[in-house]
Amino acid sequence: MVNLTIDGRAIQAKKGCTILDAAREHGIYIPTLCYHQALKPIGACRICVVEVKPGPPRPLPACATYVAEGQEVVTSSPKLDAIRLELMKLVLINHALDCPICDKGGECELQDLTHALGVSVVDLEAVKLPPHKDYVSELIERHPDRCVTCGRCVRICRDRVGALAINFTLRGYFTELASGGLPLDCEFCGSCIDICPVGALINKVFKYRARAWEVTRTEMVCPFCGGGCSYELWTKNDRPLRVVNYDTALLCGRGRFGFPVVESPDRLKTPLIRENGGFREASWDEALDQVAAKFKEITEAAGSAAIYGVGSPRATNEANYLFQKFFRTGLGTHQLDNPGRYTYVQALKGLAAVFGFPQVSGVEKVAKPPLPFHSPLTTTEEAKASGFPLVLGKLKDLPKADVALVVGADVTPELPPLGWALNTALERDTFHLVVANNRKTKFDRRAHLSLRYKPGSERLLIAGIIKSLLTAQPEWAPTVIAGGFDEFKENINKVNLKDVAKKTGVPEALIKETAARLAQAQAPAIIFGSELMGQDKGLENTLALADLFLLVGRPGAPGSALYPVAEKNNTRGVCEVGVMPEFLPGFVPLEGAEPGPTLPEMLDLLEKGDPKAPQALYLLGGDLLRQLPNRSRVEKLLKKVPFMVVQDAFLTDTAKLAQVILPVAVHAEQEGTFISTDGSLGLLPRALPVNGVRPDWQIISQIGSKMGFAMSYASPKQIFAELALGMPRWAGMAPKNGGAAFTAEVTGQFVPFETDISLPGRRPFTLLVGKSLQHSGSFTTHEPCGTLTITNRARLGLNPADAQNLGLAEGDFAKVTSSQGEISVPVTLTPELPEGLVFLPEHFSQPAAQRLTLNSNLVRVTIQKG
Amino acid sequence: MIIPLLKGLATTLKACFSKPITLQYPEVKRPVAPRFRGHPELVINDDGDRRCVACTLCMVVCPSNAIRGIEAAEGENHEKYPVAFTIDLTRCIFCGFCQEACPKAAIKLNNLYELAQYDKSRLILDIDKATQEKSQLRMADWL
Repeated sequence: MVNLTIDGRAIQAKKGCTILDAAREHGIYIPTLCYHQALKPIGACRICVVEVKPGPPRPLPACATYVAEGQEVVTSSPKLDAIRLELMKLVLINHALDCPICDKGGECELQDLTHALGVSVVDLEAVKLPPHKDYVSELIERHPDRCVTCGRCVRICRDRVGALAINFTLRGYFTELASGGLPLDCEFCGSCIDICPVGALINKVFKYRARAWEVTRTEMVCPFCGGGCSYELWTKNDRPLRVVNYDTALLCGRGRFGFPVVESPDRLKTPLIRENGGFREASWDEALDQVAAKFKEITEAAGSAAIYGVGSPRATNEANYLFQKFFRTGLGTHQLDNPGRYTYVQALKGLAAVFGFPQVSGVEKVAKPPLPFHSPLTTTEEAKASGFPLVLGKLKDLPKADVALVVGADVTPELPPLGWALNTALERDTFHLVVANNRKTKFDRRAHLSLRYKPGSERLLIAGIIKSLLTAQPEWAPTVIAGGFDEFKENINKVNLKDVAKKTGVPEALIKETAARLAQAQAPAIIFGSELMGQDKGLENTLALADLFLLVGRPGAPGSALYPVAEKNNTRGVCEVGVMPEFLPGFVPLEGAEPGPTLPEMLDLLEKGDPKAPQALYLLGGDLLRQLPNRSRVEKLLKKVPFMVVQDAFLTDTAKLAQVILPVAVHAEQEGTFISTDGSLGLLPRALPVNGVRPDWQIISQIGSKMGFAMSYASPKQIFAELALGMPRWAGMAPKNGGAAFTAEVTGQFVPFETDISLPGRRPFTLLVGKSLQHSGSFTTHEPCGTLTITNRARLGLNPADAQNLGLAEGDFAKVTSSQGEISVPVTLTPELPEGLVFLPEHFSQPAAQRLTLNSNLVRVTIQKG
Repeated sequence: MIIPLLKGLATTLKACFSKPITLQYPEVKRPVAPRFRGHPELVINDDGDRRCVACTLCMVVCPSNAIRGIEAAEGENHEKYPVAFTIDLTRCIFCGFCQEACPKAAIKLNNLYELAQYDKSRLILDIDKATQEKSQLRMADWL
């Protein structure tokens, strides 16, 4: 601690903090303009000047001056006031007096400052500058005549988002924000809009729709990826208008501009019942009665195992928990799964095999009733935990790692907050980033090592890295206590590094250097995404990475962990609350009962016409046809199911096959919680009217009650209390919090993995079905979602050289054929893709990428013009 | 006895030849002072457009919540203009704060004072009725 005085007040401040931080902490006001708590201070505007003794004989910027022992700081004096007033006049000299029509009016920092400093007249004159307004860019509007050149937008774009899309041009009085021409071509995250202290950058979705003081603000978790960001939703007259993150101003494009999808005209408003080949609208009572009656009829005729459920990574924990309770307690079966089976669950199974299932002890019930959505359990002093959830990292710790290995993940499209965490980490010189991917991704530009492997060869590359590490240091002992090392070593010894280099396409030297970097690391982090998990051998890929972590990982060091990307808002939550046949809530393995088939196994049963195949399907949202590989097969099999109930907000292709469709509440129309990719709890409060639809939990509870199960609940709060009581690992869990810290005992068991990387088929191109930056599942592909203006349809990414050979130009239609099917899709030239690899986003229904796939997100295809 | 009566008649007689102080209302209207505060209305420019930019400051400042429901829209040249605007004269207290707060001189208190109505709903003015020269209350022909 450092002792200093500010305005004669003796205060203590932390060493290394700035005078401004110290003053704010003690409630002393220092005016600022270019400073923002989420950015590094640059001291550009000089509004925050203070006099410091001992120090240089001139005022210093409080935001960029560190506290020192015995400092005497004066924040207000006639001299300082005169300086600030003069500076404000210079800022205001050419400021457009647009306040009545400026959307920032009412929360504008320049307005506040003008009032605080008492600027009444600007008695300076200068030439008027031409207002180069930008009305043509999508989503973001620019008004340079309102700009105060504080540089916040430039800094957030460069340092936090890493897009480097905007910068200043010209000098001095003529300084102007520029983006290298019109219109703006960037990630369209809009973080610049919310960090702007004035209205120089305007959100087009929100423009002119309300004044800042008229809106109701509700803080909630963002439902557009697994990052668990929290934002404020602005509503007026029960309509959502805007979202803002006041802490860091960071949100991605789909988070910031995706919310209008709630008001989509495509939304289902009433239950639909299939009749005479079409659907007719029905009342809730009729639809629910029909579902319950039909379920009863089927269970009586074919046993309760004849109903199969598919949970949803979009629905809340409460809904998913009730869903599994409906099957486990109500029907007494374990016939349920979630669509994460094809991606995230593969990773969890791999990690569980290596690090074991979670074991928790030393947890007790809290004495007084907990607050809503707070865990009723707390940890005692002896609290201990083990198992794989302990090696799953937290995004806020990632910047503390010293080496990050990113494999099979295009970080920003998969999980934007992970990209921001990497950018924060990259500010440290000691941090090393190793990016391994089959194509050039955003972080290749900033990576210290860039490995470009052939599609699908991830696990062989990892085997190569492990082999190279063990060859360079034969005495290497695993840094995590683990069994089975000798056997594993023998297996790895069979790997030939030259062979690996040839098959993966990564030069031997790079593999060796990566291994050396990882061996030296004191806190290595391993990040992997759905590109790697979504392959048919996703489990093997995860085993490879988990084994690598056993060798070099240091679970005790902050940031050193595994970071599998949970793609959707509740991909992790749906697994944690037990919507899987083999795990009960809290990843407790099912014992003493036969687990039901997994989702792929269930489809196999349907294909075989097995008597165990389900007679009825209960889908909790999730457009299976769009998400699951091999669409034609899934379509054929789902059509075989005699009775299918779908709970969804939209009439998806899967819903069109159903007998009963129940429309559900989405986003802020419902109350509930999500578990983000790093395990923290995000709270979704209700802020919008439901307009006739019902939240998932209510529908499940009503169907359950009609079937005679004890499943009546008053609110999600009650469900959460029951759910959290059975989850010892959630002890201490509260909104925005990942629960209490346990004394960790990370141990593992080396599990050999397969290194065969052959991809079936002889077609010339490899198609990768992956994520687009502007979309989250199929949720954001409905009008009027803001990001549709940026990416409005699927386009096939193709290397320009390949395109030239095929005679294709940007926008031409290409016919893509695989062993499974054929689609026609416009082409976009993408130099980031290597020759031979093509990319198609998975989000859109037309053309459906999954028509081409077999059992993996990689498939061999031929491409023709036409 | 007769003298007071004559005095009175003389006063009456005097008044017969002086200018009357009563007005033949409603045939004759009393002129109002230049700063008289009648009901608020939206001012129009020479080209017939409303000056209002829907900044809602009048709504904020209004002490009796007489102004409400201001909705803005974007014009062809990116200008902001109101598409909905309600002035509730049953609530208005004619204080003139709205006129004072308006940065565009787009709302003004006019000189109309004949606001009595048989139907209260006629006093709730929508954007068209609240606009200068369109105000139905200007026609005092309801008598």
